[in-house]
Amino acid sequence: MNTIDLDTQLVTLTTEGAVATLTLNRPDARNALSLEMIAAMEAGLEKIESGLEGVAVVILAGAGKSFCAGMDLKAVQDDPILMGDMLRRLAAVSRRIRRLDVPTIARVQGAAIGGGCGLMVVCDFSFAHPEAKLGYPEVDLGICPAVVAPFLVKRIGAGRARAMLLAGGTMGGQAGFEAGLATHLVPMDELESASTAFAQRLTKGGPEAIRATKRWLNELDGSLDDEQLSKGAEISAELIQTEDAQARLRTLFKR
Amino acid sequence: MTAKALLQFDTPIMTVVLNDPDRRNALSHQVFDDFERCLDEVETAIDSESCHVLRIRGEGPAFCAGFDLEAMANGALPSFLERLGAICRRLRHLNAVVVAEVHGPALAGGCALVSACDIVHAGPDAAFGYPVHRLGISPAVSLATLVPGTSPGAARALTLSGEFLDANAAVRIGLAAAAHPDRAALADAVTTLCDRLAAMDAPTLSATKRFQNELDGTFDADVFARSLAASLATADSEEFEARIEAVMMMKRTSGA
Repeated sequence: MNTIDLDTQLVTLTTEGAVATLTLNRPDARNALSLEMIAAMEAGLEKIESGLEGVAVVILAGAGKSFCAGMDLKAVQDDPILMGDMLRRLAAVSRRIRRLDVPTIARVQGAAIGGGCGLMVVCDFSFAHPEAKLGYPEVDLGICPAVVAPFLVKRIGAGRARAMLLAGGTMGGQAGFEAGLATHLVPMDELESASTAFAQRLTKGGPEAIRATKRWLNELDGSLDDEQLSKGAEISAELIQTEDAQARLRTLFKR
Repeated sequence: MTAKALLQFDTPIMTVVLNDPDRRNALSHQVFDDFERCLDEVETAIDSESCHVLRIRGEGPAFCAGFDLEAMANGALPSFLERLGAICRRLRHLNAVVVAEVHGPALAGGCALVSACDIVHAGPDAAFGYPVHRLGISPAVSLATLVPGTSPGAARALTLSGEFLDANAAVRIGLAAAAHPDRAALADAVTTLCDRLAAMDAPTLSATKRFQNELDGTFDADVFARSLAASLATADSEEFEARIEAVMMMKRTSGA
């Protein structure tokens, strides 16, 4: 296994044969997305985009018990402008993951909530286990999930996405699989081996054929539409800066 | 005379009850009149910022059996299509989360209403479908919301086949969010959902719904206009005249 230096410990990037693994590495905070974490992801993506030799598949993983608990808003609770910027940067990171020209697999154990669930569905494939906790409780917190909406719509369809995002809440891995959030459901103790085996299988495909297919799928489903994706981020960013949303968040953080 | 659609307030939750149980809540002149009046009041209540959840259900054995046949036979079809299209557009553009509680059949115009709601829960005796081709009517007016709400393939099959879907099948194609084993469980689940939504911030829900509309193309009034035009094109056809006449004749002969 090769480890690629990213100049940060918050995200690690390794390669093994044709499979690269980008791992969120802040296990004590359930890999919550802080500004630093997002910056570390950007660094990892830059390496991948600039061409890792022979890499044909990227796995997005989280260290520890959870894949990703969502945005770390508590850390920036006094700075609504910064919250907005984090949402914009997360949207940009999501877009870059979507446009990688190799297939991507999210390996989801434990929680994938809010922005974490957003990272899960932006990948081409998502492996989860029945006890996982998935979903978008943004509206419960007074936050608008517009930033994750475009990729959720592409993943599960607009009708299901509408019901899921407006009702908020979370669900178990089984329900998430049935709703289409996860493309694969395996027992927890097989998560790593099953997702790795699947990644290995993908590496056998013709790289040009896969690249062309993924690019065409992205074009067909609007994943190349910068305007729409940015708009989602703007809506979320604007709403989170309102006094109402801030008041609600402050109450939440005090609990 | 009893109103054929009632509006109840339990701020911030509003409930519209289709209230013509003997006629399975079929959309007649009066049901349309009263439904539209309810929606006027709903819009006022939303603007005064006191309400942001709308529940819709039907009284009696059906959610809504579609257009009233007799009125259609008497020339009401074009105006009914226009009124249905307008109601679907209004439901979609309301600054409130619209929840449908569907027990019993929701057919044709009834299914169109359901497809325009944001979150749909269905009971064991629910049935969804568009058995309207036999009348020479196109269900295209429903497609503005049905296609994005389900998928192009599922909407195509449902509107072209005239087949009925039960609650579980509706969940499978994304038309309904959940199916429930009995009527009480359905009502409880919808109450719980509405209470959850009631506790949320109105601006957050509104921004989320608006962007959903934009993502799935229903923000655009034009898509409703084009959907309606496709249905209207069949409304004054000889085929429709002949078929509705035949249906009414059969009803009269069978004493129904």
